[in-house]
Amino acid sequence: MGRSKGDLVIFVSKRLIQLVAVLFGVVTITFFFTHVAIPNPCYVWSGPRATQATIQQCIDKNDLDKPLLDQYVLYLGKLLSGDWSTSPRGVPVLPTILAAFPQTLELVVAALFLMVVVGIPLGVIAANNSGRWSDHLVRTFYLSGWATPTYLGGVVLSIAIGPLVGLPHSGNFGSIPTFPEPFHMSVLDALVNLNLPAVVDAVAHLILPATALAFINLGIATRMTRGSMLEVLPMDYVKTARIKGLSDFWVLYKHALRNSLISTVTVLGITAGSLLSTSVVIEEIFQWPGVGRYAFESIVKYNFNGTIGVVIFFAVGVVVANLIADILYGLLDPRVEWR
Amino acid sequence: MTARSESTGSGADLNRQLSRVRAWIGQLRSGTRGLYKVLRANPLTLVGFALVVLITLTAVALVIVPPTSAVFGYPISLTPYDPNALLPCPTVGNQSFCAQPPSLEHFFGTDRAGRDVLSRVLTALPLDLAIGFLIAGFALLTGGALGLIAGFWDRPGTLGAAVSLAIMRVTDVFLAFPSLVLALAIAASLGRGTIPSIIAILLTWWPYYVRLTRGEVLAVKHQPYVTAARAAGVAEWRILFRHVLRNIAEPLVVYFTMDVGTVLVVFSTISFIGIGVPPNVPEWGNMIQAYSDYLLIFPWVVLFPGLAIFVTVLAFSLLGDGLRDILDPRSRRALSQAETPTSAPAATATAAGALG
Amino acid sequence: MLPPQPQQRRGRWGDFVAEPLLEVKGLSVDYEVGAGTFHALSDVSLELPAGHVVGIVGETGCGKSTLAHAIPRLLREPPARIRSGEVRFRGMDLLTLPKWKLPLVRGTGISMVFQEPINSLNPAFRVFDQLSEAVRIRKRRETGQAPGVVPGTEGFDYSKREGPKPADVLARPLLPAGPEARKGFSRILHREDFREDALDYLRLVRINDPETILDLYPHELSGGMRQRIMIAMALSEKPSLLIADEPTSALDITIQAQVLTLMKELIDEIRTSILFISHDLGVIAEMADDVGVMYAGHLVEYGPVNDVYEHPRHPYTKALLRSAPNQYKADGPLPSLSGSVPNLSRLPSGCPFHPRCPLAKPVCSDDPGPVLEVQKGTAVGHVAACYFSEEVAGLP
Repeated sequence: MGRSKGDLVIFVSKRLIQLVAVLFGVVTITFFFTHVAIPNPCYVWSGPRATQATIQQCIDKNDLDKPLLDQYVLYLGKLLSGDWSTSPRGVPVLPTILAAFPQTLELVVAALFLMVVVGIPLGVIAANNSGRWSDHLVRTFYLSGWATPTYLGGVVLSIAIGPLVGLPHSGNFGSIPTFPEPFHMSVLDALVNLNLPAVVDAVAHLILPATALAFINLGIATRMTRGSMLEVLPMDYVKTARIKGLSDFWVLYKHALRNSLISTVTVLGITAGSLLSTSVVIEEIFQWPGVGRYAFESIVKYNFNGTIGVVIFFAVGVVVANLIADILYGLLDPRVEWR
Repeated sequence: MTARSESTGSGADLNRQLSRVRAWIGQLRSGTRGLYKVLRANPLTLVGFALVVLITLTAVALVIVPPTSAVFGYPISLTPYDPNALLPCPTVGNQSFCAQPPSLEHFFGTDRAGRDVLSRVLTALPLDLAIGFLIAGFALLTGGALGLIAGFWDRPGTLGAAVSLAIMRVTDVFLAFPSLVLALAIAASLGRGTIPSIIAILLTWWPYYVRLTRGEVLAVKHQPYVTAARAAGVAEWRILFRHVLRNIAEPLVVYFTMDVGTVLVVFSTISFIGIGVPPNVPEWGNMIQAYSDYLLIFPWVVLFPGLAIFVTVLAFSLLGDGLRDILDPRSRRALSQAETPTSAPAATATAAGALG
Repeated sequence: MLPPQPQQRRGRWGDFVAEPLLEVKGLSVDYEVGAGTFHALSDVSLELPAGHVVGIVGETGCGKSTLAHAIPRLLREPPARIRSGEVRFRGMDLLTLPKWKLPLVRGTGISMVFQEPINSLNPAFRVFDQLSEAVRIRKRRETGQAPGVVPGTEGFDYSKREGPKPADVLARPLLPAGPEARKGFSRILHREDFREDALDYLRLVRINDPETILDLYPHELSGGMRQRIMIAMALSEKPSLLIADEPTSALDITIQAQVLTLMKELIDEIRTSILFISHDLGVIAEMADDVGVMYAGHLVEYGPVNDVYEHPRHPYTKALLRSAPNQYKADGPLPSLSGSVPNLSRLPSGCPFHPRCPLAKPVCSDDPGPVLEVQKGTAVGHVAACYFSEEVAGLP
């Protein structure tokens, strides 16, 4: 069987190579859209209030007067060396994104946690009681989450429910932390500094935005779990597990779920893109200092380089998440050969 | 049969055509009856279906009868007020309170400029719905066609294989971009407005259909009945149309139905952020954005458009989600056998489903 | 009417056996689907005394699998519905037990082997994980760490004239784990502790290289191997009753012969009572002591297997036996019955077989239909549900 440790290395390596190829394509497409598809790119890049001098500066700085192939090579070079250009006011793009990224990661991880902890059991319950009222209830619940636009949910949570429940709805800390932040992730930093009130504060600030992010996307986890559980539950091995004398709980959560998780987990990985997109709006509404908020502000304030930087960065994120999902699938399903 | 007794002349043709029409009507009736039975068994789907029909009919009616139209000189309108008219605001003292809460004259209240919210919500309906259908439909056609090609003609060593590979690689790259972010970026760089936003979403939406269609085509292609058809000498294009297309149609329809709602949300998000529809044009996302800070003060201006989006997307999602359950082969078989219980095999099939 | 009192009957090993291990009384099960209600089982009654192997034979769709699944309540309640009846296992009516208590009876009380070995083992876990899980369940119940029916610690002593009472041998009804059970250091028994037991059970089912097999996944094994592992898993919990639902039907003929030989040897070694379901008359003849013949959800004949096969007292049984190919019927087409099995949602009134029966008379279509009656002139315990069973012998 193709599942030895050596095979695993080959399996992961192959996918890493694919990752590089896709990223190459991503960068090329971005180049196409920014340098080729728009006539006179510098008119757009410099924003609506640019003067002729600014535009000329932009053309020089970005080598737009050189032949296209040269532009492409220079562009690649700049990207790889970390020079992702700057915002109109001169703030470099890549360092800003990198500094803001851990916050977004924290938010996304918190949302994923909620999706798994709430969404998967709901999917199991819905599948187990298929056709009965609890199934209809769960389905209505997660479809409602799907039907609520991100911004609406965020706004309602932030402005109405937040004050009602007493949870903070802005930023990730109540006041600027006075302790060192090695991770740039609010909860982790507070934990590392053993500052309990700060931990509580950080978690309190995390709850609302993570819930907003998770609520919209809960549907994905629940629907996938429900669907794959519905396929798994009639299988004979579930009967075998029952007849062995296992309680309903273990039959569902050990034997059945283990098999349906295979597809659910891969889908969760693939929804990373959706989560990153949703974070743009959520972070802005909750003033969460992450990449999403940076993206929102770049878009609205005509920071073209910032926008493109975020697009490329998110694409990298999506591709990495897909890779993780693919590898997890290979690990979880014993029938998959590691080729 | 009547056709045989009048075997000559045009009477035979007429009878044949009549019997064909009769057969078609019979099929339609049994199909409708089947649909009714199925919908009755799935209450959620029925709700979704009813809502979708209602919403679509309302949108169509609103398009046919624009807010300012007249028949024989009598102004008729489906919306109580002109959505853009600034209605006189009641004044108390020297302050005018334009934003009125819901009342008998204004079911959804008015906004700060004095415009009737109900009219604006209704006017936005055809716009948002049409954009949803348009984008999802276009993506289905283009992405579906590409996915079909990539899935069906990918025998290694042929030109089709090279084309398929190229299609899939490009699709993979596009799929790497999170759709909303890419749409925002494109809309931002193309200039802001309705058309650029539509183009932006279109450019980011088709890859999903390519992946979906290709997956389905691949699954069907390796079924025994396709191999059997090929072995029997059936032409490739006929296999494509009769076997492959018919079998992939169902998951595609389900996905499309749910996608209409998703596109609607994405478009309204772009409008919410401010780079979609121009500021005063009635559009649900637009309307929410204008008053999001005033949620606690003028909740009705935010909540009613939000409710409109919610109900519309929920309707489509319920319909799509329910369709998926209905069209699932296992339940389809059980349902079709429930209509014509014939023999023990039917019972065995049900028994097999009930064991364990 | 049920078969006569068990005290008058001898078990497989020539002894007398006491109260039945399993009593099914008047079990009726319906499947409700869409516009039809299928009567999968109609008023089925049988008794399975401890230490016996009872076979159930019949065509596809006659309800044997439904019966097999209904006893440990493995049916999915919608669409199935148990309309009436009792299923008494060791004196407990399983149909009135609260649902959460059912797992306590399964495994160590009643276990089951299914037809398709491909799907019966969980593809995500290794053989060792699944087998040791079963052993662990039994051990935890035996030591009192978990509630549940406990298998007997010693076998039957068949030398005694009077059979053992179930309460004595198959001891301990459902009890929560009491404080006296947790004597000493009670730790959660770990999977690894059961490696030796797992190996033992694999050797029991004649698997040659158990150490290697333990670490494999189900998809890496052949069908015959998987079925042996299923049997090992079922037996490792030492159930009082093993229900085998067509265990060899999905295997090729050579593997089938191996597995059946294995099961026969095991029956003599372990002495678990077995309810064996099959459509194959030959398999039943090999394995069972008593056989029940089912038709359209009804139990139409029951009795010691040799007697039923040689002197069938129901026209359906006779037709079934006649249509089985054997080496002595070399010429002419196989005789078969005209007509087909009735639609279970539209059963004929009275006797379900009367539309196709050569002996049918007007009384056969009157409700209620014939019930199982003792047949004179046959072995003890032979019953058939036919008004004209004496005439069956005269049929061609």
